[in-house]
Amino acid sequence: MFDYRRIVLTKLASIGPRYLPFADVASKDVPLSRLLRLALFQVTVGMALVLLVGTLNRVMIVELSVPASLVGTMLALPIVFAPFRALIGFKSDTNKSALGLRRLPYIWKGTLYQFGGFAIMPFALLVLSGYGEAYDAPRWIGYSSAGLSFLLVGAGVHMVQTVGLALATDLVDEADQPKVVGLMYVMLLFGMVLSAIVYGMLLENYSPGRLIQVIQGSAVVTVALNFIAMWKQEARDRVRAQAMAAAENIAFRAAWAQLMQNAGMIRLLIVIALGTFGFGMADVLLEPYGGEALGLSVANTTKLTALLAGGTLIGFGIASRVLGNGGAPSATSLSGALIGIPGFAAIIFSAYGGGTPAFLAGTLMIGLGAGLFGHATLTATMRAAPKDKIGLALGAWGSVQATAAGVGMALAGWVRDVIAALPSDANGFAIETPYNIAFSMEMGFLVLAVILIFPLAGRGDLTKATRAAASSQSNPVEAP
Amino acid sequence: MLTDDEDKVWPTGLTLKEAEEVHSYLIDGTRVFGAISLLAHFLVAASTPWLG
Repeated sequence: MFDYRRIVLTKLASIGPRYLPFADVASKDVPLSRLLRLALFQVTVGMALVLLVGTLNRVMIVELSVPASLVGTMLALPIVFAPFRALIGFKSDTNKSALGLRRLPYIWKGTLYQFGGFAIMPFALLVLSGYGEAYDAPRWIGYSSAGLSFLLVGAGVHMVQTVGLALATDLVDEADQPKVVGLMYVMLLFGMVLSAIVYGMLLENYSPGRLIQVIQGSAVVTVALNFIAMWKQEARDRVRAQAMAAAENIAFRAAWAQLMQNAGMIRLLIVIALGTFGFGMADVLLEPYGGEALGLSVANTTKLTALLAGGTLIGFGIASRVLGNGGAPSATSLSGALIGIPGFAAIIFSAYGGGTPAFLAGTLMIGLGAGLFGHATLTATMRAAPKDKIGLALGAWGSVQATAAGVGMALAGWVRDVIAALPSDANGFAIETPYNIAFSMEMGFLVLAVILIFPLAGRGDLTKATRAAASSQSNPVEAP
Repeated sequence: MLTDDEDKVWPTGLTLKEAEEVHSYLIDGTRVFGAISLLAHFLVAASTPWLG
């Protein structure tokens, strides 16, 4: 008899390794194309950020006429999950899997949540705005479903980014980690710029149907890109699976305490919070400041964002080069914060005679400083952790960074609104005053960060020596 | 192709535990997807009802 079964099985066996979604062959050298493919998860994260902070912010207020305060609350919801990044990173470090997978299950779950949030978001927003028959529906349906969709997207973004970065660092040697961080953040910026342009074009002629198409399209693109990014990135490993099954359970509290025992770790996290706070508040204020205080046109203020992003890119590039050549992260983050301070000074000065050139120079300097600072602090956090705890360290960085950035953004808008709402005849404020108070606060945060970094940046050689002497159990933080 | 290992599931070559884990991801995905689509249908029905 014709043995069709054997033939089919041979065929299956020959195509298996090429098309199974698990990389059966893990090679030591990782080509750039593979890293770029992995970096696609950052593109989806950038897409989600642009959609939430930029596009939907405007669409909800202008086209759906949802009250601005409600929009602000909804868009702030994803920050709720930011502190859980450390927990997610820790769980991926200690994941028990029969397949030997650590990162992929969490990226996959995060992708699902991100997809789910986007899938219900357009309908939730339409119900929230009282579109069609939803005008008679109870209000809580709109509130709760819109809140749920933003929470889902936020949870997904935090999971995907934390664990994705951990996977990227798993793939490369410690010497190459700064480069991989730079690459990942360049891809995040790239995704944000690209999706801002695409969303702008797609939503030019707004209609409810178009809103549904665009947001659900983002959901599909998210799953597709993340799937391509995950494909064959983590090897199926039976040896590691056995080690996982045998490993004793560590409580999160114990692992966290161990990470915090590293010399300078807490100080590093405080510096990250202060610096991110300082730089993060700038994002939302630069455009309206340029428009209101300097009278720039809308097209020109949009170019500001490009200038800021361009500065950040240059900062990432410099930081990658310096840190990749063995530079100390503490010195690099110090210079980042030090560039930011005169940047804010130039922006304040632009309203008092400096004019547009001072403003543009300040914007570029803030971008540059933010790039240097972000890259250097992330590298420092990564170097503080042994290879098997990298998820926890990245999660700790992400928790502090994302929370500080979110709170900073909200606070910046709030400070401006409160000061602008004061009765004008009583205080006689000029139009630029509320902005400049916010900018001065940012300078203050940066100065605090500099004060905290400074003593540690000076003794780079000492920390290097202690680091070399340290066991894998306690890696002291090289910076700050 | 077919090994003599009792623990391995035919024809993938995965062990029983591995196969169960792959299956659990599929089940989780289906559950989340199902819940999301239910909610989406409910919300669409709230704004633009059909069959009624």
